[in-house]
Amino acid sequence: MKKICVKLLGNDRTQFIAIPIFSILLSLIVGMIIIAGLGKYPLTAYMNLLQGSGLMPKPAYSAYQGMLTDFMSFLNMLTPMMFAALSVAVAQKAGLFNIGVSGQMLAAGFVATVTVGYSEMTAVIAKPLVILIGIVVGMLVGALVGFLKYRFNINEVVSTIMINYIVQYLTSFFINTRYIDEISRQSRAVSRASRLTLMQVTVGELKVDIPLCIILAVIIAVLMKFLLDRTSLGFEIKAVGSNRNAARYAGISVGKTMVVSMMISGALAGLAGVTYYMGYLESIQPKVLTDTGFDAIAVALLGNNNPIGVIFSSFLITGVTKGSSYMSAASGIETEIASVITGLILLFSACSAFIRYEVKKWKTELEEAERRNADVKNNH
Amino acid sequence: MSEEYIIEMRHITKRFPGIVANDDVSIQIRKGEIYALLGENGAGKSTLMSMLFGMYEPDEGEIYVKGKKVHITSPNYATKLNIGMVHQHFKLVSNYTIAENIIMGMEPVKKVLGLFPTVDIKKANEDIRKLSEEYGLEVDPTQVIEKVNVSIRQRVEILKMLYREAEILIFDEPTAVLTPQEIEFLLQIIRNLRDSGKTIILITHKLEEIKQVADRCAILNRGKIVDVLNVAETSTKTMANLMVGREVSFTVDKPPARFGETVLDVQNMTVRNQDNFDVVKNVSFQVHRGEIFAIAGVSGNGQIELADAIAGLMEVASGRVMLNGEDITHMPIRRRTEKGISYIPEDRQEFGLELDFTLRDNLALKSYYKEPFSGRGGVLRPDEFEKYGQKLIEEYDIRSGQGTMTQVRSMSGGNQQKAIVGREIELQSDLMIFVQPTRGLDIGAIENIHKQIIAERNKGKAILLISLELDEIMNCADTIGVIYNGAIDKIAPAETLTMNQVGEFMMGVKSK
Repeated sequence: MKKICVKLLGNDRTQFIAIPIFSILLSLIVGMIIIAGLGKYPLTAYMNLLQGSGLMPKPAYSAYQGMLTDFMSFLNMLTPMMFAALSVAVAQKAGLFNIGVSGQMLAAGFVATVTVGYSEMTAVIAKPLVILIGIVVGMLVGALVGFLKYRFNINEVVSTIMINYIVQYLTSFFINTRYIDEISRQSRAVSRASRLTLMQVTVGELKVDIPLCIILAVIIAVLMKFLLDRTSLGFEIKAVGSNRNAARYAGISVGKTMVVSMMISGALAGLAGVTYYMGYLESIQPKVLTDTGFDAIAVALLGNNNPIGVIFSSFLITGVTKGSSYMSAASGIETEIASVITGLILLFSACSAFIRYEVKKWKTELEEAERRNADVKNNH
Repeated sequence: MSEEYIIEMRHITKRFPGIVANDDVSIQIRKGEIYALLGENGAGKSTLMSMLFGMYEPDEGEIYVKGKKVHITSPNYATKLNIGMVHQHFKLVSNYTIAENIIMGMEPVKKVLGLFPTVDIKKANEDIRKLSEEYGLEVDPTQVIEKVNVSIRQRVEILKMLYREAEILIFDEPTAVLTPQEIEFLLQIIRNLRDSGKTIILITHKLEEIKQVADRCAILNRGKIVDVLNVAETSTKTMANLMVGREVSFTVDKPPARFGETVLDVQNMTVRNQDNFDVVKNVSFQVHRGEIFAIAGVSGNGQIELADAIAGLMEVASGRVMLNGEDITHMPIRRRTEKGISYIPEDRQEFGLELDFTLRDNLALKSYYKEPFSGRGGVLRPDEFEKYGQKLIEEYDIRSGQGTMTQVRSMSGGNQQKAIVGREIELQSDLMIFVQPTRGLDIGAIENIHKQIIAERNKGKAILLISLELDEIMNCADTIGVIYNGAIDKIAPAETLTMNQVGEFMMGVKSK
């Protein structure tokens, strides 16, 4: 048992990927036990999750629907999640806890909606402008948080939560008084030209939604990885995040670095906002903050705050969420069980340091034993 | 099973990932003796005693206390076995009184109105006063910890053990933070304790102390017992050689100083801490090229704040700091570094290093943003980090598990210190501020760093050395300034002062 674990997880080079996979498998196994406890078939349930996310074919589809339809709709949901998780991860690297991603998303989504979304602009101008506005608005909110922290030493957790409320009520005031759709009780739908997801495009015999920004999300994740690992700004961000005193001692301007990191984090949240409210959705429900910004905290944690890790973790978590409604319909398992599985994944991932420690201990033990055996043999 | 040994540790082996801290170590300690454990840093002294005190359990081997085999699983159990330990870092609640700290966890209780239990602080004060008198500790139990000095705090730790009826007392490097006079006092206490029948285990790397008080001495080197000696029959030289495993020289070769122009000129500098209290008071001094200016003082007299203010980590409340004739009083830290200040801070883990970064990133911590580490647009060049890291590792003998890619947190304290020293010397600044540069290092490494400091001075660098170790100051300094209560009242050429005189100034006994 120990030997197998050490062999699979003990290699220093592959550990960074082997251990998360191990924790995920472990949580899926526990999830299976829970599902079995409910009297359902665990493997069927998991298959349903994959089917719901378009990663496996369903037994039957209605007209114009297919695996691709499900998969593209999964990607549509994935895009804002990936941006949001990147936003959390970058802030986390600077030692800041951006719990206000949802508020920043809403601010960016709202501003882009009322400016471009309700205009007559053509798609070629409108779409890039929406992205740009998302970035700028998010960046400004982030800058405000960073400035409050730097100038007045206001804890970013407090200020981002407060800004969440401010944005929530301010936008709902404007939506209710000026932009309301009387029937849906939401803001009026944005123009097709400004939407970042192409809806109901006919591909072959199917109709699919195409999220334009998923590629951008992946590119930005790679860019963030480069920024953090290979630039002096990234070096400063990490130095401030891991020990503020040492960073200051080394001559890094801690305040400036924190403001810049919050601006980057805010910009990413802004991207999440426009891809959510003007891509995945087309309108804003007043007085409601999306869960995406909060789930993103967990996703970033699972991805170890590594931008590349975040690509995979958001894929996994969104997959479970997206697949849950089909699982519920097909196997009669409550959608909440999906949240339980997500919770388990996070719980086990949080234990990864412990797993690493244990594996290391076993490895030393085994090496010792081997050495002793070798000695015995040599003596004979 | 012989009864004469109060403690026996037999064939103890303790492994940590990647290192064998104790390798088949056996020691036998007699009742009523002072037994010293001598060894360099990382030799395994503290690990061995931590096992006796229940903080770790040995991987192999057995421990006998008073002839009975025991498994010491926790410090609580060790206390039950009458074993007590004074740690290097005191574990006291600073806003409690001395008595409250001592009785914590086993308070004498009386019942008010025969019903409500309360702490009987009067009885506690009385008990502690008696204990203190019995062993000559001179402690007033009603004083608050934060108001008393390090030496008294240490005695409180000793009282804590005595109050718990410890018979075997372990001291972990007890003299590291004390002045010569305080050391004398402590050693006398240790003798008193032995004379009243306690058994003392003394962990140290200071040979003088062993020579003065210990009866027997076990020498550890790289986790193994090298020898157990009767101290009275052995010279310090022999002990030093056994401990390091080679010949050591105690004095540093130092050519006469040739001072050049003034590099650092501190003029009437006052520094306030967060509580708006003047911690450095109206201090003035100069450091010249080719001069080692050493500041002696008991810990907590403002020397750290003085260094922080010159390096830019603390603000100067009034007065001026000039570097090479330029006013740097309010300059940002990075500009100061670039103008020519190297700084080895007192707290290496909190300030000097990014513990979660790799060794090579830490070695470039102050130059990562410049050529050759960083090109246009701030893109880093990992190859240059690697090359530079390799170079420093070699030059400064920094030992680590995975070379340049080792996470600094996993390195030993001594090697962390070497990394900082290397990084700061390599900056080749005009002014080098060294605070406690050899703290926690072993004899071999201390020798090396002293040589390096003197070499830099010979090259014409100005050196500000702040140390709590008088030996270090007497060995290296050209000029000595003594700081007491935030003020430097005495500045004199090193050769005009004796160690005892400096010690008296440090205690504020003499003025001017």
